[in-house]
Amino acid sequence: MSTTRHHINRQRRRQARETRPAAPAGRPEGTERAERTPVPTGRRGATAVLEPAPAATGDSPASEAPKAAGRRPRRRPPVLVLLCALTVLLGGFAGWAHAKADGLRSEPARSNTALTDLARTSEIKGQVTKAVDRLFSYDHTDPGALDKAAKDLLTGKAVDQHRELLADVRDRADVQKAVITTTVTESAVERIDGDRARVLVYADQSSVATSGKKGTAGEDAAQDDGVYAAAMLAVDVVHRDGRWLISALDTFGR
Amino acid sequence: MTRAARLLRLGGSRPLPALALALTLVAGGFAAWAGQDWYRAAHDEQAAYAVQRDAALSAGEQAVQNLNTLDHRELKRGLDLWESSTTGELHEQLASGRDEFAAQVKEAKTVSTARVLSGAVTELDDRAGRARVLVALRVTVQAADGAKSDKDSRMLGELTRTDGRWKLSALGQAPVGGTSTG
Repeated sequence: MSTTRHHINRQRRRQARETRPAAPAGRPEGTERAERTPVPTGRRGATAVLEPAPAATGDSPASEAPKAAGRRPRRRPPVLVLLCALTVLLGGFAGWAHAKADGLRSEPARSNTALTDLARTSEIKGQVTKAVDRLFSYDHTDPGALDKAAKDLLTGKAVDQHRELLADVRDRADVQKAVITTTVTESAVERIDGDRARVLVYADQSSVATSGKKGTAGEDAAQDDGVYAAAMLAVDVVHRDGRWLISALDTFGR
Repeated sequence: MTRAARLLRLGGSRPLPALALALTLVAGGFAAWAGQDWYRAAHDEQAAYAVQRDAALSAGEQAVQNLNTLDHRELKRGLDLWESSTTGELHEQLASGRDEFAAQVKEAKTVSTARVLSGAVTELDDRAGRARVLVALRVTVQAADGAKSDKDSRMLGELTRTDGRWKLSALGQAPVGGTSTG
């Protein structure tokens, strides 16, 4: 609709230019505009701003200029107020939305990436499983292996915790000439927070005494075929130099 | 800001509206950025998954604790709690064995209290509404004569989401030494 109207307008304008000496007063559009322009000055509001182009085709431009100049100063305060209000509103929304987004991101559920970061979760599970297998297994013929495992896999207070936990087992195994094998049966990552994580581990411990003195070493060595013990522990790990090291062992007070 | 204002005053004939417009545009830019940032934070799938994980874990821990807690003086309340914490096959088992079990506990006059030491989710399918949890538990049983004994349990639980709530659908202890020698 508007395009055809534009087209007609343009044609009329062209005609008007061609027949410039003859006044355009006779045309319906010319009269319409001539009638409208003087009236509205004050009450037309913001829509008038959109109309300067067609206005140029109408009467002499000289008569239009003072009108426009007269209109502008009266409209400036509302526009300014509108812009200011809009600025405050938009700024307010920006701040509010930012606070909302921050609030959502700092939810404790989000800072824990256990399971949401599957690659990291399985990497931690794999390394902790191997570490626990090594750290809680002991062969009396190769006592150095345990020390090496402790040196490789432990850090911080876990070093002392591990020494205390294993001291007894070690002495007994040496006496009984036993081989203790620990196998992790289940593990789950409780929490991953950046380069720290906590893993819950279920493990089975079997000990096989190879010494021939059956029954003489007391009830600890009562059986020399496999004896299984169920163990559960939680380990804290830290990521260091591309590897996860155990930084604390929690045996739940046992 | 002051420099921008000066520039506008130098360049244009109408500094005030131009400045106001510039400020509005800047504010609009911030608003658009903050708005889409908020939208992204609110529609983060990873975050929704994490929320499900935590919901499943806390429901699982609570349910495992409930199922290991029973006071012979408050049997009805305890067993009702058992049934409300479970769903599926486990629920049916508990419901069908309820009377027999209640009679046993009444006879033995025991009070069991469980405490969750630690728990973690091993698997979570948030679409299907299934999860698997490990819960390390310490159960204290007080016998009729008042003697208390502690026992640690390595629980494996399976959860199913029903009507938006996670409930236990299977529960057992991790087997000991089952694999290597028979």
